[in-house]
Amino acid sequence: MPIITIDQQEVQVEAGSTVIQAAEKVGAYVPRYCYHPGLSIAGSCRMCLVEIENMPKLAIACHTQVQEGMQVLTQSDQVTHARRAMLEFLLVDHPLDCPVCDQAGECDLQNFYMEIGQYDSRFLEDKNKAKKATVIGPHVILDQERCILCTRCTRFCEEVSQTDELGVFNRGNRSAIDLYPGRTLDNPYSGNVIDICPVGALTEREFRFQCRVWYLRQQNSICTGCSRGCNVSIHYNDSRPYKAGGKRVQRLKPRFNPEVNSWWICDEGRFGYEFIDQNRIEVPYRRVGGKLEAAAWSDVVEEVSTALKTALEKFGPQGIGIIASPQLSNEELHLIHKLFGELMGIEGIGYHNPWEPEGLHDDFLMRADKNPNRRGAEEMGFTKDSLSLLEKAASGEIKVLYIFQHNFQEEAKKLLTQVEYVIFQGSNWTDTADCCDIVIPSTTHAEEEGTFTNFEGRIQHFDQVFLPLSESKNGIEIMTLLAEHMNYEWPYFGPDDAFLEWQGKSYQELNDFGDLI
Amino acid sequence: MPIEKLVSEHFSNPEARKLAWYRSHGGYEGAGKALDEMTPQEVTDEVLHSNLRGLGGAGFPTGRKWAFVPRDTGKPIYLAVNADESEPGTFKDRYILEWDPHRLLEGIIICAYAVGIHTAYIYVRGEYVRPAEILQAAIDEAYREGVLGKRVLGQDFSLDVYLHRGAGAYICGEETGLLESLEGKKGWPRLKPPFPAVVGLFESPTVINNVETLAHLPKIMVNGSQWFAEIGCERNGGTRLFALSGSVKKPGVYELPLGSSLHELIYQHGGGILDDKALKAVIPGGASAAVLTQQETEIQLDFDSCIKAKSMLGSGAVIVMNEDVCMVKAAHNIMRFFAHESCGQCTPCREGTAWVYRILTRILEGNATPADIHYLLEIADNMSGTSICALSDGAAMSFRSYVKKFTSEFEYHIRHGKCDVNERL
Amino acid sequence: MSAAFEFTPENQQRFEEILSRYPRKRAAMLPTLHLAQQQQGLITGEVELFVARILEVPVVDVREILTFYTLFFRRPMGRHHIRLCMSISCWIRGANQIKDYMTRHMGVESGETMKDGSFSWEAVPDCLGACEMAPMIQLDKDFHGSLTPDKIRHILAEASKHSPGSKDDETKKHRNAKTN
Repeated sequence: MPIITIDQQEVQVEAGSTVIQAAEKVGAYVPRYCYHPGLSIAGSCRMCLVEIENMPKLAIACHTQVQEGMQVLTQSDQVTHARRAMLEFLLVDHPLDCPVCDQAGECDLQNFYMEIGQYDSRFLEDKNKAKKATVIGPHVILDQERCILCTRCTRFCEEVSQTDELGVFNRGNRSAIDLYPGRTLDNPYSGNVIDICPVGALTEREFRFQCRVWYLRQQNSICTGCSRGCNVSIHYNDSRPYKAGGKRVQRLKPRFNPEVNSWWICDEGRFGYEFIDQNRIEVPYRRVGGKLEAAAWSDVVEEVSTALKTALEKFGPQGIGIIASPQLSNEELHLIHKLFGELMGIEGIGYHNPWEPEGLHDDFLMRADKNPNRRGAEEMGFTKDSLSLLEKAASGEIKVLYIFQHNFQEEAKKLLTQVEYVIFQGSNWTDTADCCDIVIPSTTHAEEEGTFTNFEGRIQHFDQVFLPLSESKNGIEIMTLLAEHMNYEWPYFGPDDAFLEWQGKSYQELNDFGDLI
Repeated sequence: MPIEKLVSEHFSNPEARKLAWYRSHGGYEGAGKALDEMTPQEVTDEVLHSNLRGLGGAGFPTGRKWAFVPRDTGKPIYLAVNADESEPGTFKDRYILEWDPHRLLEGIIICAYAVGIHTAYIYVRGEYVRPAEILQAAIDEAYREGVLGKRVLGQDFSLDVYLHRGAGAYICGEETGLLESLEGKKGWPRLKPPFPAVVGLFESPTVINNVETLAHLPKIMVNGSQWFAEIGCERNGGTRLFALSGSVKKPGVYELPLGSSLHELIYQHGGGILDDKALKAVIPGGASAAVLTQQETEIQLDFDSCIKAKSMLGSGAVIVMNEDVCMVKAAHNIMRFFAHESCGQCTPCREGTAWVYRILTRILEGNATPADIHYLLEIADNMSGTSICALSDGAAMSFRSYVKKFTSEFEYHIRHGKCDVNERL
Repeated sequence: MSAAFEFTPENQQRFEEILSRYPRKRAAMLPTLHLAQQQQGLITGEVELFVARILEVPVVDVREILTFYTLFFRRPMGRHHIRLCMSISCWIRGANQIKDYMTRHMGVESGETMKDGSFSWEAVPDCLGACEMAPMIQLDKDFHGSLTPDKIRHILAEASKHSPGSKDDETKKHRNAKTN
């Protein structure tokens, strides 16, 4: 492993790594546009020029391989001058769009320029005009004038999505990135070009003009769109509720995890966050005279715990059926197992929806199972046979059925109407919720801390992003209320207690990129 | 002193296009000798000692270039003949293609034998339609007569030569731009290292040589490296073709020993200045070369002398300008070319060439200030040494020389909004 | 929506031969496009799709090639096409005056086609490699230099006389010279 010197700091690096990678190891960030660790090397933006001893010219850090004893300067006068020069060149035809450009605040042209730019423009010509604000796909808008031709997007379409929609046409300063005529940027990973575009040339349709990025805060989370569990960052706005129709979640961005999703996420996952703010069950409901009516938490907790206790006393554990969900966190599932399985002795705890259609599956990130924690539910030892539970409930063998999150199809609804007493606990309205006796509003994963186990058995942690919406409560709190009402010993105050009991370690001991069970 | 005509001896004689005629006048003797009597290493050594240097523009010693090629990679080695000739002012390779195509083929055979090459592509610029037809006819004839193919000149050596026409892009004359184009992609030059000698065409070791460079090989084989080296000057062996154009009475291709004087070329061979006007400036080696003022034209035409004069011999395109030529407009014309030909891949070239062209346009329109002169020089510095290939450096060297050496003409345009040299041109 | 493009049987044969020259299909890109333009007169969207298919490359790559190089026509040109060189040596020898003359004589600007479809022309900044005869034009395949207004008139008149009906006549004329 060669040892090189960067800005007078010695560092040992892997053989075959490039100077730009080595620089990151010592915390020297070399500005760059075309370089991206997930794509091939283009070496065309020339922004990463650095000074290397004994080399007559400045060299691009992204392409230069480290050699033993190499001496690199990333902050010298020559380097600074070259960076300013490249920025000046890039700004020649760049439109002064900052006031109307979504990228403002997270734009690498702005960022590098503010850090090092020469600030006084010497460009006196008329700027060239090109296509602006052109929809090129269901999620992406192209602005050719803003493009700095780093070619990250064309390389992405060629190497990662392998769908070849974008190309660089013409040559010289007439070069323009565009779709092949007649095509659309509609591959299942189209949203990733928005992330990798360093400027506002490729922007997100859904996010357009919604919220300035400096009003956004972000927290780590896990995508709940399928069983891969791509790592994400939830970007939310909770300080200016008058923006963007009061939506809290403004967008998702993928987080780098080399074991799960590297730098990418599919469009289904990226744009599948609406359920966090929309169509939520906001208060508890009771069925009164055939109709669901809003109720108070105390009343509902009282009614549900009484029903459970009574059923347990009169009919024993066989009289109660639980259908948990592969969308619940490991912590919730663990406590379901604790309360219903252990303390109440109920054996019939299922998790599966036999009518759930399989979703799109590919050989990249998307998996057919569109639930984030099936593996977690399986590992808890729950039964897959929810159908029998439903049938037993319909036939009257099970008196009280407690369903979590599910959206059963027609067949199930017929069965459900025959069940004596059905409790639904979930975050969003579903057809199933509509035909239950009690509806308990729980939180989404964004409003509670926890973990999911992905399809390959990787336990991944997600943060609590914001407080529960309206009167919804997180699943652990709900179970605590029920347990206490039923006078069980219940020493669990939060998800970390459940996790500690389940895995025997704390969240701090979890690896950044998740742990295989 | 009689001028040696080495590669140009058959120019203007259409008979030379025929294999039989060429052969009866010494043709394929050099290749025959190499294949029959010499080892590949001996051939390379001869070329090295001849001081033959690349005549397409870079002037790199040919023998040394061949020596960079690794022979043990297990991959085929290729030869790409650079007949893309697009440097403004250059037309000498065209003459070889049109008048002496077999000499080129013979040179290709010699190079292929020396380096272990069995497939060669001749990349001819797309605009050279008739020359390409003539060359193809020569290739076909060579195959028919057993000069190319499985047993070259009856020897146990195979060589396939294919013509590959370009489609209009100066940047495809850059070595790696040519390779990219040959592989069926845009002519975007590659990052170096790796160099083409190691990773070239189809990821295999590749030699890229200019047409004229190869055309000298037959006589070097026949007469020896010392003979060739002595014709030229120190470290620049032999003769070369000069493409003389511009304000001269007799523009054309002239073959002179390297080290000949520029004045000899212009006055003795070129007939002197058009309309007997005063000589104002000369570009010694194609549009990418720095312009020389009249006082600077007392130079020798060889690679090293031109570098010392802070210009370059380049492609041997000598462009003469008399007192009627406005240097601001000349710079403008040249930058129009570079802006048009920039491939667009990297920032300094893509933006710099077009920006400079726009500034020069503004100067010609009378809309500029003295600060613009200062900007031009700074942009030239920013375009030098920062790009992927030498187009940016060449463009910068070029326009910088006009601005620096003819500043008064730029200042006049800025101050008065018109030309004091020639409004008409 | 015009019909899909296919090579004529002769051109298909030529294409097979072209392919055999390279270890990879993609390398045949330029010769194939030249051949298609020879047959069709220009490169249409259908030609792009055809070339992409037979060379097994994404069609966007074909369009990149098409727009990068200058010799491929993407709209119909005149029966004859003229390129007037405006580079440094030709400019020194009066190319601007020739350009003015040609604009007046042809009646259309550079980059346009005459209304009767006989000639299209363009003044190009790239040196055409014939500076010894500056100022000069490339008319179809040939170079004509030392231009004066008279000479231009003469050249155009001659070309009109021998105007072939279709581009394929040219191919037949040079049967033995495979320029692909």
